[in-house]
Amino acid sequence: MSAELSVAPARHRPDWLLPALTLGPAVAGIIIAAIITPTFLNPDNILSILRNASLIGIVAVAMTPLTLSGNFVSLGISQSAMAAMVAFVALLGEGWNQLATILVVLFGLVAIGMLQGVVVAAGMNPVITTLAAGAIIFGVVSEATEGRIVSVRDYPATWGGGDVIGIPIVILVFVVFTALLTLMMSRTVTGRETILVGANRATAEISGISLARVTIVAFAIFSIGLAIAGILEGAAFGEATAKSFPNLTINAIAALLVGGTAIGGGQGSPLRSAAGALLISVISNMMVLNDFSPGGRLAIQGAVVAAAVVLLDLFRRRGVRR
Amino acid sequence: MTPGHVNSGTGGAAEKPRLLVRRLSKRYGNVQALAEVDFELRPGEVMALLGENGAGKSTLVKVLSGLVQPDTGTIEIDGAAVTLYPSARSQTAGVAVVHQEYSSVPTLSVAENLVLGQAGVPSLWLPGRLRARARDLLSAVGLDHIDPGTLVERLSVAEMQLLEIARLLVRDARILIFDEPTAALADREIERVLAVIKRLAAEGRSVIYVTHRLPEVFRIADRVTVFRNGRSLPARPTSELNVDAVITMMLGRELQTMFPKRGTLGAQALLQVEALKAPGLVEPVSFVIRPGEIVGLTGQLGSGASAVVEALAGMVSPVSGRVLLDDKELSLRSRAATLKRGIAYCSADRKRDGTFAVRSIRENLSSPWVRSVARRGWISARGERERSGDIASRFAIDVKRLATAVGALSGGNQQKVAVGKWLGAEPRVMLLEEPTRGVDVGARAEIYQHLRDLCAAGLGIVVASSDTAEVLGLSDTIATFYRGRLTAIRPHAEWTVDALVREVMHQEAA
Repeated sequence: MSAELSVAPARHRPDWLLPALTLGPAVAGIIIAAIITPTFLNPDNILSILRNASLIGIVAVAMTPLTLSGNFVSLGISQSAMAAMVAFVALLGEGWNQLATILVVLFGLVAIGMLQGVVVAAGMNPVITTLAAGAIIFGVVSEATEGRIVSVRDYPATWGGGDVIGIPIVILVFVVFTALLTLMMSRTVTGRETILVGANRATAEISGISLARVTIVAFAIFSIGLAIAGILEGAAFGEATAKSFPNLTINAIAALLVGGTAIGGGQGSPLRSAAGALLISVISNMMVLNDFSPGGRLAIQGAVVAAAVVLLDLFRRRGVRR
Repeated sequence: MTPGHVNSGTGGAAEKPRLLVRRLSKRYGNVQALAEVDFELRPGEVMALLGENGAGKSTLVKVLSGLVQPDTGTIEIDGAAVTLYPSARSQTAGVAVVHQEYSSVPTLSVAENLVLGQAGVPSLWLPGRLRARARDLLSAVGLDHIDPGTLVERLSVAEMQLLEIARLLVRDARILIFDEPTAALADREIERVLAVIKRLAAEGRSVIYVTHRLPEVFRIADRVTVFRNGRSLPARPTSELNVDAVITMMLGRELQTMFPKRGTLGAQALLQVEALKAPGLVEPVSFVIRPGEIVGLTGQLGSGASAVVEALAGMVSPVSGRVLLDDKELSLRSRAATLKRGIAYCSADRKRDGTFAVRSIRENLSSPWVRSVARRGWISARGERERSGDIASRFAIDVKRLATAVGALSGGNQQKVAVGKWLGAEPRVMLLEEPTRGVDVGARAEIYQHLRDLCAAGLGIVVASSDTAEVLGLSDTIATFYRGRLTAIRPHAEWTVDALVREVMHQEAA
């Protein structure tokens, strides 16, 4: 895992320390969990952790370019993923073809995301924009479904829970998506420009980088991740409601931050967010197995995020003058 | 406290100093900002603190206001040794600073701003009590006409400046430091601020007045202390001096060897600026740059020199006029448009928009041209490495350190990265504002040499600088600006330091 992490785009000294800092506690956490929880290393449990990490991870990884570009995080994650899931299930229920449904959901989500990107590029605060968009999306879907459960009815689609050569599809998608986005951020012009805009908006502008383009592209990528998460969940359960993905927003943000991507942008990578998702899943699984109450789990998860963010910030400050 | 005005011509040996600074030194990395400076301030005195950019004025102000801890040296206030760091101590010692940036809260009322951060204010803000308190303070700074309930955002710039002063008076400060208080003000407003400062001194407070505007010095200051390259010259009574003498003190004569030899200029025009009018310019500006030429634009803050550069860079849209590059019209519509035609641009504020501090030197160097070493959107790691390595070796940046974050470099090295990165973009014209601000003397000479080398390669360079010595030593052609107008443009040989400074001051010096 640590060898993989050296793919992270910049390799100056503080960057080398950041993954170590987040992975250190992760490894320690796994060891402690394994010792105190006998069922933890059970293959079924490991698989369940990975599945859970994959769903959070796909969204956290997809959001990383947005955060890297200096647009903070989206506060409308749950609602958008939910909309994708409901739309996917509902269209299948109407008898649509699988591929057509996937494409429509994908393009629909990307369109909604790019619209938010345009608003943010025009100068609106990204946090407020995504919060408002989330509320609108939730309202519209609630109205459309009238609070009922939407289902695929006679067109069973359960491939979302299936596997290819023994590996669950959701994990496969997570790994491929993370690899693609990590490569994109570290090796393409678009990825580089995204990071530079987050590192210093004013310098990026003088260097001829289009802030609007970077922002809109970041929102588009993010929306692809949301669509994938919604489709996979929809294809796994065959039904959805406006209340699907209740904790996705907080989990994805937590994964991203614990992974060590700077909330202000300019430093971080999708790979780190993936590692963060893994860590969050391990911790929450460990707590479930040890019968922690839901409130206690949330509190501890919050504490982990806070600790990681403070730690990373301290290390960053040492790296850069003034 | 001695009320009344201190006699400035006597040398005043009998007077016990209010503030005495001895052999104060401060070093930032490789930059010796202050080298054993001495500074003396008497009760009721207005002392002008003068010097070129980077001479150490602002470092002394930071030390006195407790923002910076000096390396060595002693400070005495009224005969007692004091420590002014951190700033809370400086405030208790009676030092107060009026900054160029205002610290008032625009959305609160004048009265509320006057109690912000003050000790001994009742925690319950009763409007009646606040108003009564505010009235006295406002009249002390000539703001009697302002209602204490007015929101600060409604005030004019000069009124905010005066409010800022009133806020200091609450603290009963004995030593007031004014850091270019008139830089952003119009003539009539300047009068008001100067009158208030004079009155404060007459009440027995001591004033340190930092400025670039020499005429003000002769109107308000009793004595003058000049800083040069981090060292202090002995204070002189203003009555013994004139503008020329002060200029000679500020510039010294040791800068001659810093500037590289000039080269030969191309015959045809590279960039033709024709009747360009842009925000910040009152009259249209026209001039020509030939290949290999450095054109220096100089003037005070807000003179229009920077406005020309920003318009040419595509940072602000011009109002009228046109610009030709290689005889073809250059669109100034956007930064991307000018960049595409080979216009490189380094602004005056390196920290704000010159570098990506958290990213590596390599990524900084490649930022303007990384697209050109990419195929179908994929960056060629080899192409990026080779071209940035080439720039690094030409600009004497350690090639082994290219993975280091730029924020960890010294000011001079950061500036080399900020300038050098444009080389890879194959620029035709390079625009620079204040290219050596905050850069130590050694790195300065190096940067001047690099600019000359670029000229030898056929580039045209425009340097906007408020450093007259730099403009005179570096440029082939010099244009002066005053209040939004180009006032004179001549080859460097036809300028002298005095003529240049006079032109920059324009009628103010008369």
